[in-house]
Amino acid sequence: MTALARLWRNHRLALLAFLAAAALTLFFAVRLIVSTVYWMQPEQQDRAPEGWMTPGYVARSWDVPRDALRDALALPETAGHPPTLAEIARGRDQPLPEFLDEVAAALAGLAAEK
Amino acid sequence: MTETVLALVPVWGVWLVGLTTFLSCLALPVPASLIMLAAGGFAAVGDMALPAVAAAAAAGAVAGDHAGFALGRVGGPRLMAWLERRPRRARLVGRAVAELHARGGLAVYLSRWLFSPLGPWVNFAAGATGFPWRRFALPEALGEVTWVAIYVGLGWVFAGNLEAAADLAGSVLGLLAAGAVTLGLGLWLRLLLRQGRQRSRRSA
Repeated sequence: MTALARLWRNHRLALLAFLAAAALTLFFAVRLIVSTVYWMQPEQQDRAPEGWMTPGYVARSWDVPRDALRDALALPETAGHPPTLAEIARGRDQPLPEFLDEVAAALAGLAAEK
Repeated sequence: MTETVLALVPVWGVWLVGLTTFLSCLALPVPASLIMLAAGGFAAVGDMALPAVAAAAAAGAVAGDHAGFALGRVGGPRLMAWLERRPRRARLVGRAVAELHARGGLAVYLSRWLFSPLGPWVNFAAGATGFPWRRFALPEALGEVTWVAIYVGLGWVFAGNLEAAADLAGSVLGLLAAGAVTLGLGLWLRLLLRQGRQRSRRSA
């Protein structure tokens, strides 16, 4: 009698649990490969700017120099913690969506210059 | 909700990181892993200091674990009875007690990062069931360092793309956890087979 048949006869639950766990491992392995391939696509690397991000964060995301972005948006030097895009928009009395559009346009421009 | 929390990361800085890891180790529903990923990302672009982020995350987590352990020690069986009043919590507490009993320090270490939903319950259970503090402290600290290194590290590596970092962290930890369970069950099956063979040899 093979080992598998013996396990099936004597320890069915343990064998089924093992097979379920193995299937789950395979699932996560496939998911990891699929998401790695997905995130490696160039169009997935430039994330649209959002209010919680900082200028440094979006600059990294779009792979453009941080200082170039600062100049393009005419951002002032700030003391203290790094401001988020939402805070900068508030400081300029500008609606956030409008400012985010401006940031996106600046990023696209800088990325095209490369 | 997520974006509101994320917006606080650069503003409150390392204090927010430490506070959330502290609270998450006491089973409070705060997105500690996401905040560590984000803080790692902000550190990579120079908006936060990496050593401070890592130290705050680890210090918060270790303090939270010891607070949970102390609560368990003080509350004892009464706390356990109260925790077990809700079925979902009762299941988690039951598993925590069983794992702690079967695997001791290894259960403490792995429940920090690999099977992290069990973490807080292992803290309470360790305190309440009289698990020795000196056997708790070392695997606890090593486990939290592992947890922090994974999340802050992935946040650092995938700076500028938090969604990718969160997605990949989920897959990597899911793969490791499922792989560990598969390995454990496989070893158990091998043991069962060997015992069966010995028994049939004896009866032959």
